[in-house]
Amino acid sequence: MSGVYEGLTVVELADRRNQWAGKLLSDGGARVIQIEPLKGSPGRWCGPFVNDKPDADNCLDYWFNNTGKQSVALDFARKPAQDLLRQLLARADVFVESTRPGTLAAMHLDYASVSANKGLIYASLTDFGQDGPWRDYVMNDAAHLALGGTMASSGYSDPTVTPIGGKGNQAWHMGCAFVLHGITVALFDRMTSGAGQYVDVAIHDACGIGTEGAVPHWMYFGETMYRQTGMHANAKRVPPLELPAADGKYVMAINQALNNRTWNALLDWMDEKGVTGELRDPKYQEEAVRTAEYRQGTLIRDSIRKLIAASNAEDCFHRAQNMGISWAMVGSAEENYGIPHYEQRGYWRNVEHPQIGRAIPYPRGPFACDALGTEPRGRAPNLGEHTRQVLTQDLGLNDQEIAALAAAGVML
Amino acid sequence: MTTTHKTDPTDNAAHKQKGVLSGIRVLDFTWKTVGPWAPRLLTHYGAEVIHVERAGGFDDHRYETHRSIGTDDEKPNHIQGGKNLYTDPYFNTLHHGKLAISLNTRNPEGLKIVERLITQCDAIVENFSAEVFPNWGLTWERIHALNPKIIYMSSSGFGHTGDWKGYRSFGPTAAAQSGLTLASGLPGQPPAGWGYSYLDVMGGWMGGLALMQGLLQAKKTGKGFYIDYSVTEGAMTMVGPYLLDFQVNGRRTRRPDFPPGNHAIFPSVAPHNTYRCSGADRVGQYWWVFIACETQAQFEALCALMNQPGLALDPKFATNEARVKNQDALDAIIGRWTRARRRYDVMHKCQGAGVIAAAVQSAEDRVEYDQQLHHREMHPIINHPDLGDVAYEGYPVKMSRTPAFVHGRGPMLAEHNQYVYGELLGMSETEIAGLRERGVI
Repeated sequence: MSGVYEGLTVVELADRRNQWAGKLLSDGGARVIQIEPLKGSPGRWCGPFVNDKPDADNCLDYWFNNTGKQSVALDFARKPAQDLLRQLLARADVFVESTRPGTLAAMHLDYASVSANKGLIYASLTDFGQDGPWRDYVMNDAAHLALGGTMASSGYSDPTVTPIGGKGNQAWHMGCAFVLHGITVALFDRMTSGAGQYVDVAIHDACGIGTEGAVPHWMYFGETMYRQTGMHANAKRVPPLELPAADGKYVMAINQALNNRTWNALLDWMDEKGVTGELRDPKYQEEAVRTAEYRQGTLIRDSIRKLIAASNAEDCFHRAQNMGISWAMVGSAEENYGIPHYEQRGYWRNVEHPQIGRAIPYPRGPFACDALGTEPRGRAPNLGEHTRQVLTQDLGLNDQEIAALAAAGVML
Repeated sequence: MTTTHKTDPTDNAAHKQKGVLSGIRVLDFTWKTVGPWAPRLLTHYGAEVIHVERAGGFDDHRYETHRSIGTDDEKPNHIQGGKNLYTDPYFNTLHHGKLAISLNTRNPEGLKIVERLITQCDAIVENFSAEVFPNWGLTWERIHALNPKIIYMSSSGFGHTGDWKGYRSFGPTAAAQSGLTLASGLPGQPPAGWGYSYLDVMGGWMGGLALMQGLLQAKKTGKGFYIDYSVTEGAMTMVGPYLLDFQVNGRRTRRPDFPPGNHAIFPSVAPHNTYRCSGADRVGQYWWVFIACETQAQFEALCALMNQPGLALDPKFATNEARVKNQDALDAIIGRWTRARRRYDVMHKCQGAGVIAAAVQSAEDRVEYDQQLHHREMHPIINHPDLGDVAYEGYPVKMSRTPAFVHGRGPMLAEHNQYVYGELLGMSETEIAGLRERGVI
């Protein structure tokens, strides 16, 4: 399969912030060379680990975020390693890095120092970008969710309870989405101009535009959003939509329309569970009447709450969906395995893992599209697995030169 | 595909500014939130995006709001065609820089016009339910036959094949099904989810990436293709490590100690939490600051700031492992320190000492007080014919040679009918008037 990034060489300076972007470049067919410190990328040490035993080559977070990459372990605090990186950048198509602003300039590895490679697309994904008063502040993913606005909109309806930053490094994912925009569009441009450029993306800027209507509502109306348990933040408090089911799971009962077909199917279901109340009253056969009741009253909402409380969450999902209502079960990540729908779509792609002697089904990626060809291209590399290969084959070093680098502690 | 036409000084169209995607034309049948984001992102690079709205159709961001930004009317503004029909604030964000036309796709003549437009576009995007386009006769085969170079992207909750292809989805549906909603919350409490609809926003940004990838691949190969984008499948790639943890270690995210609130688990570091500060916002929600120490040096610096240097020597808190074990006690100590303090003061003092700290900022905070977003010009000012100058949300990709830009407000309903039908499709005034009379546009 010829992926959208096939034929490109990407150099990625290992960092937890940018590794998902590098993964998607690799999944699209690019050759991604990750330059790691000798002790390994920080991404190798966060866990979870295979059998919970810390090991640079057995970190599952690293496995997921680094599929198909090559690993070159170098001590790039040292000048010989910096020279090797400079040589790699001289022939690379894309460079992705997340160092603190100024770090690479001090090593003569900033864009100005390596842009003799006219086609190089040099992308920096950092906490705050390359300039501004907070540029040097130290952050992590949760800190970005706080500062960027996600937390203020997420959590519980009780105004005294803490806002919540969800898990899974979503602030970094947001930053990665935009750095991939920049890289992809720069590649589009390079096909005609032949020229690369510098791309500067700040995770804070990315999070800052990610809170749906919150900013426009403040700008236009001066309104502040209420946090609401499991739901959209809103300038008005609205009744709960995240409702507990009989099996203890939750249902996201987001309703958008109560047309005749949906309404009558809903009433039949309510009858089965004995929770219809007064809703068989003929006046609710008028869509406008029941819509008004749903929006302003409590009768329909009470019956829906009771209906869900009397049903299992997964049944609620399928039955509602078959009636044309977009309800969902609040499922867990692992519960997606084994669902025929995803199997039918070829969503899971097996990646071999010699470390555990078997293959693991990974997500294909966001898009079902053969022409883009985005899917994991193999397992994540072991630490320094490709150091020698890259130094000999790409940079033309001989055995003596490599032995000298190893003896000097520049490489493993 | 460049076009020359008369320039209206108040025109919002982003393609009038030169960018990387100048000459790219996109036919945009999106509505609500996740759909509109994707083509909107192309406007930052000068693509011409034609947003098609069905006369009498329903997009709650266009119509369904308790106030119009034009009128500040408490009642919904359902009147079409008036200059104040410019309803939900978010519509203005989701569609800025786009053109807008009205078209009745339930009319056979309207569908013929869609087909003519398809021949003139590089991409077509929709986020209807899976049956809508085929019901119009617009299968991929038909679209491809009309224009072999076009990229067609459907953006949907579950994709256009498989058992669930007919299932309906909004951002919260996709977040719930993917496992993301469950990954947010306090242990033992209901899932907190992602307040605003993360999967509508990030889902749209990923959809934008798919379009950019599609345009790149089509430029390389000269061939069009179909992208079946499932927002839920996209979300499942954002919880990947949890999938692997289940596969390898059998550990589920549906377990009593997950999610861990604002504590950290992979890796386990403490402190790592939100702490209440002095004051509350306009609707009574307390103010908070997030603080984390990922290194011993950061913890020692925090202890010094709190004027409790002895804490770093206390066996209960001396090492990260001990702090994780005793983190409730540690949280209480830090919470007592922050409680009377101002959140920005705590943030700046901590940051000055190299400690991770961030005020929990609302939209007001980010717009009014965030010096960094201000410096990065993330709220550019754009002119709107009814409202005058209005601040918008910017676009966070800064490119050195071919800058991305924010150009233009959201379009008025049917604002660009004349340009699209008259100039692009070459219809005469009489023909356009006829379409209007017959209810086609």
